[in-house]
Amino acid sequence: MAREFQRGHKARISDLTAGTDLYVGVQISGPGLTFDISCFGLDADERLSDDRYFVFFNQPKSPEESIQLLGAQAGDTESFRITLDRIPPQIQKLSFTATLDGAGQMSQIAPGYIRIVAGGEEVARYSFNGSEFSTERAVMLGDFYLKDVWRFAAVGQGFDGGLEALLKNFGGEVMEEETPAAPAPQQPQTGAAPGFAPPAFAAPATPAPAPAPAPQPAQGFAPPPGSTPPPPAPAPAPDVHAAPTIVAPMSPPGVAPVPPPAPAPAPYGQPPQQQPYGQPPGQTAPPPPGYGQPPAPQTPAPPPGYGQPTQPPGYGQQPPFGQIPGQQAYGVPQGAPQGGAGVGAALQKFKETPTGQRWTSQNSKLIRVDLGVGGQPVLARQGSMVLYQGKVDFAYKGAGIMGRVVGGATGQEMQLMRCTGQGQVFLAESSTHLHPVELQGDAICVSAENVLAFDESLQYEVRRIEGHGIPGGALFTMQFQGTGTLVVKTHGTPVVLPVTPTTFADANAVVAWSAAAQVIVSSQVRMRRNAYPGDTGESVNLQFRGAPGNFIVVQPYEV
Amino acid sequence: MNQPLAGFAPAPVTARMDTHGDHMLKVAMQTGQDLFARVGSMIAYEGFIQYEPNPPAVRQIARDWITGEGAPLMKCSGDGLLYLADYGANVVVINLNGDGISVNATNLLAFDAHLTWGVERVKGLAKFAGQGLWNTRISGQGWVALTSRGKPIVVDCGGGEDETYVDPDALVAWSPNLKVKGKRSFKAQSLIGRGSGEAYQMAFSGQGIVVVQPSEDSTDRLRFRG
Repeated sequence: MAREFQRGHKARISDLTAGTDLYVGVQISGPGLTFDISCFGLDADERLSDDRYFVFFNQPKSPEESIQLLGAQAGDTESFRITLDRIPPQIQKLSFTATLDGAGQMSQIAPGYIRIVAGGEEVARYSFNGSEFSTERAVMLGDFYLKDVWRFAAVGQGFDGGLEALLKNFGGEVMEEETPAAPAPQQPQTGAAPGFAPPAFAAPATPAPAPAPAPQPAQGFAPPPGSTPPPPAPAPAPDVHAAPTIVAPMSPPGVAPVPPPAPAPAPYGQPPQQQPYGQPPGQTAPPPPGYGQPPAPQTPAPPPGYGQPTQPPGYGQQPPFGQIPGQQAYGVPQGAPQGGAGVGAALQKFKETPTGQRWTSQNSKLIRVDLGVGGQPVLARQGSMVLYQGKVDFAYKGAGIMGRVVGGATGQEMQLMRCTGQGQVFLAESSTHLHPVELQGDAICVSAENVLAFDESLQYEVRRIEGHGIPGGALFTMQFQGTGTLVVKTHGTPVVLPVTPTTFADANAVVAWSAAAQVIVSSQVRMRRNAYPGDTGESVNLQFRGAPGNFIVVQPYEV
Repeated sequence: MNQPLAGFAPAPVTARMDTHGDHMLKVAMQTGQDLFARVGSMIAYEGFIQYEPNPPAVRQIARDWITGEGAPLMKCSGDGLLYLADYGANVVVINLNGDGISVNATNLLAFDAHLTWGVERVKGLAKFAGQGLWNTRISGQGWVALTSRGKPIVVDCGGGEDETYVDPDALVAWSPNLKVKGKRSFKAQSLIGRGSGEAYQMAFSGQGIVVVQPSEDSTDRLRFRG
């Protein structure tokens, strides 16, 4: 399931996918409008200092081919292949832009998106439509930018002046030779693009134009399957799953670092990624020693020693539901099972995912914090530690003002513990879904009981929302601000809603909301009370208002 | 009428134990291949399967278990397909190929009757009279199914001198060759004036793995005896 971005959202690409060889697709259309979609490779000052990194229809790739324009395919109006680890160091930012060619303005566009696809699976999508724009003629849709690691930001900001304004923004100089080029492709660029696009992957002759460090983490580059004709049908998900190009979209441990809006477990009928436990982890090649299951498809013979009933009539006659043939020879590189043959192999898919980052989601319900990275303590809710390694010291953290306020008023004191030292701490609580939220100077409000842990560098304050009918007399929220990571827990898969003039949420189910996209506290919360308590059973709602770009998070569970 | 449900029909049997979805265990039963399963875990079966709660063999081995009477296991025998589940917990199927695993009693769902098994009390955790953590050590050639509240995580202890500390409430299973001891981690000063948060952990050292669930159910972990 792709992670949905709203305007202003940012995320580390490593949190979205382990792959670095990415497909970026843009779909944008409008009645009678023609678009030029291009990618600007910018330096640290956000300048287009090297115009070889302006990748557009006339210059379909950057010198070392880390940025390639692929043309229309799979429902995308334009698509790019981005190889992050080959981008030269002076390029710090890639900005994907769409400019109108000819008359028109951005408010006329039909719903579109920019999406990131890795290993044949869509991992992120920022959808936009004409209502977000007005008279712009050029928009920056999304950015890849380097801040310690590569990150993706959904931008959605534009300029009235079109391509020239865009170039001026990036370069400070209008490159005169480009401007005439812009109106040049009178024919829909979809016709021009395939000229160079198909060989990029359709013909097997061109692969690996470079030493190809074969993005080792299980995810290869695979454009989303689909036909090359440009019908705006956004490649339906089932296609993606059925495609043979799919690679097990997870790093060897088999636990995908699931980004915040954690996808629910895949429906049973869908074979691929999360293999059911009982199946060999995705290889038909050498099954790990001791993994006594027959390599499913061909051998109906039961494993020796367990002499299966000779399939008495009535068992196993159902047609296979796709799981078994779904196993391609992925060759997931998993070394010799450690910890012993049988057990190790069977539990391989639950291995911890090693990454060098401070916060790592192990699965949707477990998170690991490495105290050695960043070197600052972590404050966590008491009782949330399930396991730790290394020398970690836990100390009672006086809840201070917050504890007194919250505790005094609601009777349920929130108690924290301070984890210091060197080592890794695994946090989880009651099988709730955990979502790390990385704050970079922005602010977020979280309902106090949904806070699991946070970096000590974050500043927080308690805000109290009073209203009749709220259990306990008031809703306590903690506003976090600063730079660091905060872990929010939700019961069940949450929904993230953009704040519109008519956004309401149940006070008991709301988890968090953005204090503002840009550090301005613009969300206003207003209590509504229905005329008759008990009239609908939903007597207390919160209404959210704020500038576009704000969002609220609601869980399917009422406290 | 039930097309959407048709996708949930069982897959063909390919092994003695398999999962149906994440939360259901499917066992292919055959005469002579008995199974010990948690009492009350049966949710459905096809064929001719008989259940014997509290069988004598279990009573023998598990006489120390809890109060010594009524081991929470039943013996299943017969021919057919047996479906087991435990209140929606995730099910993990392991084929022990001569390996051993030590499983927390509450996280054991089913295992082959011919496996070698025994109930033991975890050393070092009997700090309070009558309390202790009981677990089942299983080894041999066969299948074991565990339950976990939420998708589990497997941590390699690494074998260094660094110990791995686990909250007993979240512990599911571990390699039996690991050294186990109890540990209090909170300093005395931090205990003043409040209840214990993470006051008590189990420390593992040596070569092996520890399986942990993302939930801390405190049901019946440290239980009273007698």
